[in-house]
Amino acid sequence: MVALLVSLRWRQLRHQLSRNPWMIVTLVITGLIALGFLAALTAGLVALRFAAPDAAVTAIVLAGTVIVLGWWVGSILVSADDSLAPERFALLPLTATSLLPGFVVAGATTVGGIGTTVALLLMLLGWSVSLPALLSALIMIPVAVATCVLGARVVSGVLAGWLARRSARDLVVIVGVVLLASSGVLLNLGIGALVRVNDVGGAVTTIADIAAWTPMGAVFGVSESVAQGDFLTAALRMLIALATVAALWFAAQGLLAARLVAPIQGTGGGRVRSVGLLDRILPASPVGAIAARTLRYFRRDPRQIVNIVMLLLLPAIFIGLSLMNGLQDESIGFGPAIILIPTINALLTGTIVQMALAYDNDAVAAHILNGVDGAADRAGRLLGFGLIAIPVTLLLCAATCLIAGRWDLLPGSVGSALGLTAISAGAGAWVGSFLPGRAPAPEANPLGRGSSGGVQSLLAMIIIGPITLVLGAPALGFAIAGIWNPALGWVSLGCGVIIGALTLWGGTVLGGSILTRRWPEVLAEVSSES
Amino acid sequence: MLDRLTGAELLRYTGLLRGMAEAEVVSRSDELLAALGLTDARDRLVVDYSAGMRKKIGLACALIHAPRLLILDEPLEAVDPVSGETIRQILRAFVDGGGTVVLSSHVMELVESMCDRVAIVAEGRLLANGTLDEVRAGLSLQQRFLALVGAHDLGTETLAWLRSS
Repeated sequence: MVALLVSLRWRQLRHQLSRNPWMIVTLVITGLIALGFLAALTAGLVALRFAAPDAAVTAIVLAGTVIVLGWWVGSILVSADDSLAPERFALLPLTATSLLPGFVVAGATTVGGIGTTVALLLMLLGWSVSLPALLSALIMIPVAVATCVLGARVVSGVLAGWLARRSARDLVVIVGVVLLASSGVLLNLGIGALVRVNDVGGAVTTIADIAAWTPMGAVFGVSESVAQGDFLTAALRMLIALATVAALWFAAQGLLAARLVAPIQGTGGGRVRSVGLLDRILPASPVGAIAARTLRYFRRDPRQIVNIVMLLLLPAIFIGLSLMNGLQDESIGFGPAIILIPTINALLTGTIVQMALAYDNDAVAAHILNGVDGAADRAGRLLGFGLIAIPVTLLLCAATCLIAGRWDLLPGSVGSALGLTAISAGAGAWVGSFLPGRAPAPEANPLGRGSSGGVQSLLAMIIIGPITLVLGAPALGFAIAGIWNPALGWVSLGCGVIIGALTLWGGTVLGGSILTRRWPEVLAEVSSES
Repeated sequence: MLDRLTGAELLRYTGLLRGMAEAEVVSRSDELLAALGLTDARDRLVVDYSAGMRKKIGLACALIHAPRLLILDEPLEAVDPVSGETIRQILRAFVDGGGTVVLSSHVMELVESMCDRVAIVAEGRLLANGTLDEVRAGLSLQQRFLALVGAHDLGTETLAWLRSS
């Protein structure tokens, strides 16, 4: 049974890969990232092993705890497409007892499982401070892997009922992508907090000491106390580690048994509150209908919620970074240049507008079958996007001026941000008509295949970028000059509004005429699988 | 299908894309939803609809602008008998009013009960074409189809292990 389930897992992966070349690219990139982490781990361990053997042991306990936690939390993100979901075996006469060993081994032989095992083997380098510690660590490797895999199964099993609701799945997707996008800043914040603690070494040792007693870190705590010759502590921690695995095993078995006889089925979100106001405000024409629909999708489609959240988050991250650096270095202060940060959103808007057709996937057929004019499509999408992007931009500009304490810079800030955002959106509307890109299917894992829109989106960015810079140069330039001579900010505002409006109009007309001619080709491109 | 809209929103959207007046879209979509038994589901996302409900909302979208030609693929697949009868009535009334329906189906009984003209296509080749009686040539449509396409006859030995007695 174990061999059967493991081979099933691998066969599924192989079929997925052979069906979709983009998955291979994703897998290779994931593998390279994993290899990079492993290389960094090796280098760090070797350095610590010879420079400070005690610190190496502490570091391993912490790193191990993080790996286990990563498995447990990560299981929430990947549980969306579990190829070995218990439901798939519900119709076969199988018991949880016979299935679970196979599931655990299959989980340990995934890319992540193999990477974890390799990482644990590399940690033996650090344990080589003493022979007993090395031996105990070697023995504890299977226990550690079992803790990871079983814990992940239990976490995803406990949450399965909740995740079966689409609103919950959407929430997980949004939180996951946002966390991923802001992981750099979070890391920066964490390190910053650590640096402010006076006794860094002491704090780390204390944390590692506590972690070594928790179910997540006990597996690694065993070898740590063996290395220090404290065998009583080692025995206690061993007890915790083994009890954790046993408890997880029985919990996983119980959850599995329950799901085999009462499968959890994905359910929808139930009734939706339709915002009638939207229909009353927007004109009852194709353009108005498309704008209303675009706005509804920004709220109901997790992939697009992420886009809108990023519009707020990306500038917020930059503002946060400049505030942090300002705090750490009083002499610099927050320069008035902070008012230019909202302009960074122009990077996102072009791609969001350009990808609009790809997000619709084959549903774009509705526009073709109903004879929508290309220009109406472009105008409707731009109108809908603008109804969100303009308030967000104004809000961000006001926020930066407030932080800088320079309200006289508001015209320049708005001129630059609004101007470049509009120019980028207009360029995106044009480019999107011949390079629509590709997006993962609405219900698919957003971190999976083609989530970046592939080569087409890259090309589109290469086209949109220079257009935005060239056409946006007056708005941006006068905004920069306005920092010294605030009157020029009004010139920036004028340039931004006029050139922005012209670009939006141009993008609508040019993109629209291309779309009207190329509708069938566009449909074929955005709905193609590869 | 734009399945993250509710049934009512999808109908309104389709009507407006067709360039219809708003009042007309609203009254027609209410009527269509009621006729197809979707009134209770009007405020639920289409992505949460069952297969049969998706068929029905798809048909409603195709009908809202009162077309003269309707092209349907397996119109009654996964549709419950009551809704199935409603759809038949809608299609008959549509044809009586001068409209044309072209539909594809693998259910020969459905074709026999609904269609005036029939064409049999197998592997991209047109094997028969004409009025229902011409194509049937005295047989039932099921038999005629098998005769044209070639039936796959199982001998008694195949799957013999399935016999429990």
